[in-house]
Amino acid sequence: MMMDKKSLLENGLLEQYLLGELNANQCEKIEQLLASDNELKTHVEQLELDFENIGLENAITPPEFIKSQLLDKVKITTANPKVVTLAKNNNTKFYLGIAASVAGFLLIGSFWMYSQLSDVKEQLQTVDTTNTELNTTIETLNTELERTNSLYSEIVNPDTEHYILKGNASLPEAKVISYVNHKSKSVVINTERLPELDAEHDYQMWADVEGEMIDMGVISKGKTMMTMAYIDNAESLNITIEPSGGNDHPTVERLVTNVYLR
Amino acid sequence: MDEQHFTFGKSLTLMQNDNTLIQQLKSKDERALSLLYDKYSGAIYGVIIKMIRDEGKAQNLLQDTFITVWEKAETYDADKGRFYTWVYRIAKNKTLNVLRKTDPLIQTDDFSVHTNKEDAISIDPEYLELNGALTSLEAHHKEAIELVYFKGYTHKEAHQEMNVPLGTFKSYIRQALKLLRETYSKSLSLLLLILNAL
Repeated sequence: MMMDKKSLLENGLLEQYLLGELNANQCEKIEQLLASDNELKTHVEQLELDFENIGLENAITPPEFIKSQLLDKVKITTANPKVVTLAKNNNTKFYLGIAASVAGFLLIGSFWMYSQLSDVKEQLQTVDTTNTELNTTIETLNTELERTNSLYSEIVNPDTEHYILKGNASLPEAKVISYVNHKSKSVVINTERLPELDAEHDYQMWADVEGEMIDMGVISKGKTMMTMAYIDNAESLNITIEPSGGNDHPTVERLVTNVYLR
Repeated sequence: MDEQHFTFGKSLTLMQNDNTLIQQLKSKDERALSLLYDKYSGAIYGVIIKMIRDEGKAQNLLQDTFITVWEKAETYDADKGRFYTWVYRIAKNKTLNVLRKTDPLIQTDDFSVHTNKEDAISIDPEYLELNGALTSLEAHHKEAIELVYFKGYTHKEAHQEMNVPLGTFKSYIRQALKLLRETYSKSLSLLLLILNAL
């Protein structure tokens, strides 16, 4: 079938096209030609107007009820989709709302949880620090307790002899109690009543063995009970004031107290 | 002639408002459907009733046509033709389908629907009369238009019906439309004269 412009104008195809006699394929070809050719298009528009005028001139008024039925049917067909669409929208909105709420709640919850977590972390750190401190304290206490215990057991041991070193004329207020156990060979002293010395001096304890003074140790400042070295065959216990840190030989002039052992 | 002026003036106003109404129709505006129905239902009903020759069926078909117009409004493309042409094609196809279904003898026969057309006419003969500018045409021009436009004949069927070669039939149609257009433009110039006078 010829589809060029000249034949279209003469072979009646355009009329057939407008009257709906052509198949879809032919219609498409004609529509393509019309889109690209204004003269053809104008011609077809004129034909359309002609057909439309024929129709309008031969109009027959249909009964009223057809229109009202039509509008009723249209209302029914549109009412349903409308309801459905609205419902769908509502549902979507509803679910979106829920999702948004949940998201919001989760967000706020997350912030809350995070702040809680930070708090808990801080608290945990505090607890940790406190715990370490406590542990140190306990360790200290334990050490102290052990020491005290051992000192105590020395002191209360039935084999332990008590010797009291009283201050001489140079230090009359001094009083040191010494606990000597010859069986276990230990010496513990109580220095509670020794007057405090300045930073440059320490008390030092000596054992007299056949006229020779043997070092028993420097008495620590700030301790009331302490263990000293036990010296075999000691005849007496002596305390002198010596330069800080102790001396190799006792400064006899600064002897403050002594006691003879039985 | 007065009636013709009126009709033509009416169709001019139709042209002006159609685009807006069609847009509204596409967005499912019932008022637009109602107004478009008012404008075109008469012409479409005239075509359907002449084609099917049965008032009851014609009424159903008219309603059915406008329901399709409502439902398929989205698919109407103004670039491809006038709204009336689109509705006319819908109505014609629906009517031809009904004619094919109701005539079992013809269903197998090349989809032709007119072999025993004169049977059982249940219709006011007035409805089958042609009006307007068509009446001023010579009989063979008038018949050619009537066959393809109001009776749903294809060109091929119509030229056999008129017993003239297809080429001759086509020129009948072309000439008839040309003559009609002359009448319309006469009435249009008259109309313009009247408008100017006002």
